[in-house]
Amino acid sequence: MNALEARDLVKRYKDFEAVSGLTFDVKEGEIFALVGPNGVGKSTTLKMIATLLAPTAGSVSVFGCDVVKEACRVRELISYLPEEAGAYKNLTGREYLRFMALVFLKDGPKAEAAVVRGEDLCGLADKLKDKIKTYSKGMTRKLLIARAVMIAPRLAILDEPTSGLDIVNGYEVRKTIKRLAGEGTTFLISSHNMGEIEFLSGRIGVMNNGRMLACDTPAALKRRFSTDDLEEVFIRLTQ
Amino acid sequence: MSIFLVLVRKEVKELLTPQLVVSIAAMLFVFHVIGRSVGSHNKASASRNGVVIVDLDRSALSRRLSAALSRAECAVTHSPARDIGPALAAPEHDAESSFMLVPAGLERDLAAGRQSHVAFYSRFRKNASGLGPVMAASRTRKTLSLVSGELSSFVMERRLQGLSPGFVKDPAPAREFAVIGGRVEAVPVSHVVAFVQSQSYFFPMAVFFIIILSAQMIMTAVASEKENKTLETLLSSPIDRRMLVLSKLTASAFIAAVLSGGYMLGMRSFMSGIVGDAAPGAASSSGPALARLGLLITPSGYLMIGLSVLVCILCALAMAFILGLLAEDVKSIQAMMTPLVMVLMLSYLLPIFIDMSAANDGIKLILYAIPFTHAFLAPQNVMMGNGVQVLWGIAYQAAVFAAFVALAARLFSGEALLTLRLRFPKVR
Repeated sequence: MNALEARDLVKRYKDFEAVSGLTFDVKEGEIFALVGPNGVGKSTTLKMIATLLAPTAGSVSVFGCDVVKEACRVRELISYLPEEAGAYKNLTGREYLRFMALVFLKDGPKAEAAVVRGEDLCGLADKLKDKIKTYSKGMTRKLLIARAVMIAPRLAILDEPTSGLDIVNGYEVRKTIKRLAGEGTTFLISSHNMGEIEFLSGRIGVMNNGRMLACDTPAALKRRFSTDDLEEVFIRLTQ
Repeated sequence: MSIFLVLVRKEVKELLTPQLVVSIAAMLFVFHVIGRSVGSHNKASASRNGVVIVDLDRSALSRRLSAALSRAECAVTHSPARDIGPALAAPEHDAESSFMLVPAGLERDLAAGRQSHVAFYSRFRKNASGLGPVMAASRTRKTLSLVSGELSSFVMERRLQGLSPGFVKDPAPAREFAVIGGRVEAVPVSHVVAFVQSQSYFFPMAVFFIIILSAQMIMTAVASEKENKTLETLLSSPIDRRMLVLSKLTASAFIAAVLSGGYMLGMRSFMSGIVGDAAPGAASSSGPALARLGLLITPSGYLMIGLSVLVCILCALAMAFILGLLAEDVKSIQAMMTPLVMVLMLSYLLPIFIDMSAANDGIKLILYAIPFTHAFLAPQNVMMGNGVQVLWGIAYQAAVFAAFVALAARLFSGEALLTLRLRFPKVR
């Protein structure tokens, strides 16, 4: 069974169409990257998969569950990290992880186990005792990524996971994602960092104007455009 | 252009947003509406200057008093009753609030150089509010002074020997009585008015600030959750969205309950300061009479007021919650508060200046449709023994609260929460 199946997905607002007939699959345990210029419908697509926006047409299913008809069931399978997300500034890092673990898992012992995992994943150590308002942007992002994956979701949807992180922290986050994918978590990520995409992704979906222009492995895409540079593939596809 | 002017120009451009302009225009509109309503109401109120005379003397002097009042553009009505009780109870005088009792033998006593007394009765309506009682008290003072002057002239015209100057100046000192819900107590009307008025200004002001404070609090909480995208994370969780709405409102209701508790404590302390033995001033000397008139609030009265204030704050919280959902970000909260502040100001200011017992049906309908008005008027209604109106008000406020909670839950369950924005058109 595919972790995700999107078929002819459309999202239309009053005056424009953000997503126009998107079709793609994500296999279980795969890291799938959606790439494209700003404003082409990547975040809208992720929000539809995360049950936050309803598709105007088409369908999306997560592990066989329809995101509209079985939204509650889908929410039990996923974890979504919005782009530029924030955290509750007056909570400490540990309190935030505990609160989110309880909200997502609704079970005390499971939540405690998730918090232990989250503390380990974020690598903030003693800083977890401090209020989030004292954190740098990078520290907050690491906490949020830990929050998103500590509950061991079957599908993690990460919008620009390493945005705002320095080289070291970005590298650590990428390694964590790779490790968790190896342990069975499926990832759907969006990113502008081609190096990151090439390092992480099994397959890439290149979007422009709400449409999927190409969907394949980085190697296959480079072969198709006779280049070693994934950025060049991106530019040739989108311009 | 100097760098200072460049900086000033940039600051003005940043501050003078379309939202701010709309807020100012809305405020101007509210003040215009209040001014117009109060003006027309006061004109109508001034034309109702009348007094019912219960004349037990039936003398030339009592007829002279009646004529003097008529000359002063006071609508005089004569009651055939032989005592004040039947006159107050007479259905034909139901709309009257000022009564004057001329005692039997007034002319005879004054002509003989003996002191007498003229009694004035001021009746307060159950739903009287705003400037109504003040204007009634002012009319009573005017009538009292006119009658006193006329009686003094009568004595002076007799040129009686050996009278004290005090007697000549005021040969029949006025005895003032207040009538509330059938209870009659000897107490200067100004003391009753001062006491009742204190409720019109102080308590609504306290409620006004509590509402603004709590509404701003929840609006900021919702808007910042939206701005920081913590809301998106919560909405993607398996928690029932109705539970998210209820948890936010419950937390806010808890804070509202604490605020209402504080409000009630302040009110109790204020009331005991007014009527307590240690309290100075005219009103405190009339404390026992005010208590016998039923103006002192009982524990059940406090409970009703507290409940009314609590439901009022809950209504404001539910409305603010929805406005917060419509806000683009925390910065736009000032503009989003405008509709709430507008209706708040209408319901707070109009009853201060307008007597609700005499207001026209249109104004009454608008004011009673605003759920906050019921809380603003609750202390006065409780004091005037108008508990039924307070209970109806609480029921109405609860219904409005339930409607707004249902709307908030509906917004939360769909995508409107993320896509709906209340934007002002950009000024080019």
